[in-house]
Amino acid sequence: MIDFVGKRKIFIVISLILVVASLISIFTKGFNFGVEFLGGSEIILKVNAEVSESDVRQIIKNLAPEFENARITQIKSVDDPKGISKFSIVVSPKDENGELKVYTGEEKSVLSQKIVEAFKNNNYTAEVIGFNETSGYAAQEIKNLTWKAIVFTLLALLIYITLRFQFVFGVGAVVALIHDVIITLGFYSFFNYELNVAAVAAVLTLIGYSLNDTIVVYDRIRENLRRSRGSTIETLVNNSINQVIKRTINTSLTTFIVIFILLLFSGNSIKPFAFGMTIGTIVGTYSSLYIASPIVIRWIKK
Amino acid sequence: MKDNKVRGIITLIVIALAFLSLLWPTSEGYKGLASLFSRIKLGLDISGGARIEYKVDIDKSVENPSQVAEDVWTVLRNRLDMANYTEAVVKQTFREENTFIIVEIPGATDTARAEQLIGSTGLLWFGQVIDSTTSDPNIDPNLINEAKREKAEWLLDREGKTWYLVKKEIANISNLKLVSPKIVEAIPQVDRNNVAGYVVTFKLDKQYADVFKRITEKLYVPEDLINQGGVAYQQALKKRLAIVLDDRVQFAGFVTAKITDGSALIKGNFTLDEAKQLAAILKSGALPARLEKVSSGWVAPLLGADIVSASLKAGIIGIILVLIYMIIFYGVMGIVADIALLYNTFLLLGILAATGSILTLPGIAGIILTIGTTVDGNIIIYERIKEEIRRGSSVKAAISTAFSKSFITLFDANLTTIIAGLFLYYFGTGTVKGFAITLIIGVLGSLFVNLVVSRFFLELFSGAIKVKGASKGGARA
Repeated sequence: MIDFVGKRKIFIVISLILVVASLISIFTKGFNFGVEFLGGSEIILKVNAEVSESDVRQIIKNLAPEFENARITQIKSVDDPKGISKFSIVVSPKDENGELKVYTGEEKSVLSQKIVEAFKNNNYTAEVIGFNETSGYAAQEIKNLTWKAIVFTLLALLIYITLRFQFVFGVGAVVALIHDVIITLGFYSFFNYELNVAAVAAVLTLIGYSLNDTIVVYDRIRENLRRSRGSTIETLVNNSINQVIKRTINTSLTTFIVIFILLLFSGNSIKPFAFGMTIGTIVGTYSSLYIASPIVIRWIKK
Repeated sequence: MKDNKVRGIITLIVIALAFLSLLWPTSEGYKGLASLFSRIKLGLDISGGARIEYKVDIDKSVENPSQVAEDVWTVLRNRLDMANYTEAVVKQTFREENTFIIVEIPGATDTARAEQLIGSTGLLWFGQVIDSTTSDPNIDPNLINEAKREKAEWLLDREGKTWYLVKKEIANISNLKLVSPKIVEAIPQVDRNNVAGYVVTFKLDKQYADVFKRITEKLYVPEDLINQGGVAYQQALKKRLAIVLDDRVQFAGFVTAKITDGSALIKGNFTLDEAKQLAAILKSGALPARLEKVSSGWVAPLLGADIVSASLKAGIIGIILVLIYMIIFYGVMGIVADIALLYNTFLLLGILAATGSILTLPGIAGIILTIGTTVDGNIIIYERIKEEIRRGSSVKAAISTAFSKSFITLFDANLTTIIAGLFLYYFGTGTVKGFAITLIIGVLGSLFVNLVVSRFFLELFSGAIKVKGASKGGARA
């Protein structure tokens, strides 16, 4: 029998430290936003040589004013042959009014040609293999919708758990979820991982996953509440967690295996998802055991 | 036992249906293992292609905005079909009281042509050419004055080279004009007089044929006059007919015969593609609303393919490890869990194929997550079974009790995930929606698989299930 409840103060302190550290990182360092959030155009460039990001910047920086502050990141896929490097170049061109500009089809092909030529002049063979764009409007919209999705999901869950369990359980679950989301986002910020739409999907999946874990514990508490009368609430909660711990460990481990392998071997655009899920599985499991139930002990009605 | 027979039959029927929908013959020529997936529509992020998103600008005074959006969809669908983009997907989405149209063209590498086709509002009118010039008339005060005097406007031609002064009212007769006529037929044809080029022949709806006849009467110029030159020719130059589409002069030339049946042809030295596109726009008519481009781009298939193969490999490795893990920990019950897991994966793929849902990259991630929920459901049940056996129940009784006790847990845990999925679907955009769909289908599937399929196999194998520590008895309250 592991004592989850007795040591709850220690874990609450640990969680608080993690949450505060995450918030500090989010607000000071910020996020490495994907092109969907920034708005602008993403050019995927393939160069038939091993060149560095600064080489690419040097070659393209004079092509157009927006290239001077372009965000250049090297992208790697497992199947890439040697002697080839791929880059994602994100630019946010502005029009005369300072608004975000969308390239026309013609401008795109002219720009692609210019880039290829610039590389040719430096004795490299390059190819533009992707040109994606998102207007500032779409980026703004995705941002708004993402926040709405998270807030409304939490509200709906609070209502559902209150109806099925007790209000305090709902509060416990939502606190645990906010805890998980903040820490996961903190990891994105801290490790400078790209926050794109897939990453948002990961954060939302994590809500479902962590909740699943929490509900299983709550369900056992509810069942034991009906049965046992003599024991204290602390013992009861601790017993309940211990009764489901094997299931929690097995489920978390199997999910973790799949997600972690995805993180190790998957392609670039799904990596931010796998990263979020890997962190989320660990944090979500931890919070179900140490946070969701222990913090609400005082208020549980027998 | 009778119940279990029913479970067995349902189990068989459902998986048979899933495989049927997966293996139903298609035109796509996949072979081997990949043929299992050939019926599933792949999202653009996987197959590669062009993607253009428009906001439909509907006038606030319109009574039935959803009908307008529906009309826009139909017009675009027609245009794309007629320009041979039959594989294109046109989707309508609604976000924050705005309607959006998303056009996805798998395999296309250039959005320019599609954008031209879609973005064109399709407003067509016939006019009279009064003058033409090759220099920009907007900087020449004489030409600006001429336009004012004639109540006409300077419009560029299709190639952007020549400017024509065009007026809508033919021969200054009020109401003799032809704006947005209905066109019943428009066909690109080889130009018989010019081997290299194409022309577009079209036929106006009957109700416009009469107006067209009167216009051609007024503008009629005998052929010999055109070849004559001189003053008469200068006069004739002011009687040319212009066909204007989207403020561009598509055709400007002489009418050498009175046209009574409403059929005519547009000559402009078109290429086959241009002729097809013009015919598509003529026939599909004008867009009932303005489209504002929100984003456009193309996803290189090269980029998609490597990601897919890498992710697929990773997914398969992950699944195999989970399969092994479950057998090590739960023995015979682990085998049942493995069956359940594979069952649910194929069920999910079958549903995707049957409903024509589009599988996106986050969708693949959703499938992987489904593995988690299926395994989780089984583990919850197995731990209960073990508990019951430790308490002293027989294996059969333990299975029965475990299922009735686990039901509430599974129900609550999965329903909360579905609630999250529904909100994700409702508020999410494109790829996130694809993820939400697979998540919801997957969770519902795992609930079914856990309660029906797993139970069937558990009862079938109940004789082989052994639980360590059963002799210790009810150690827990």
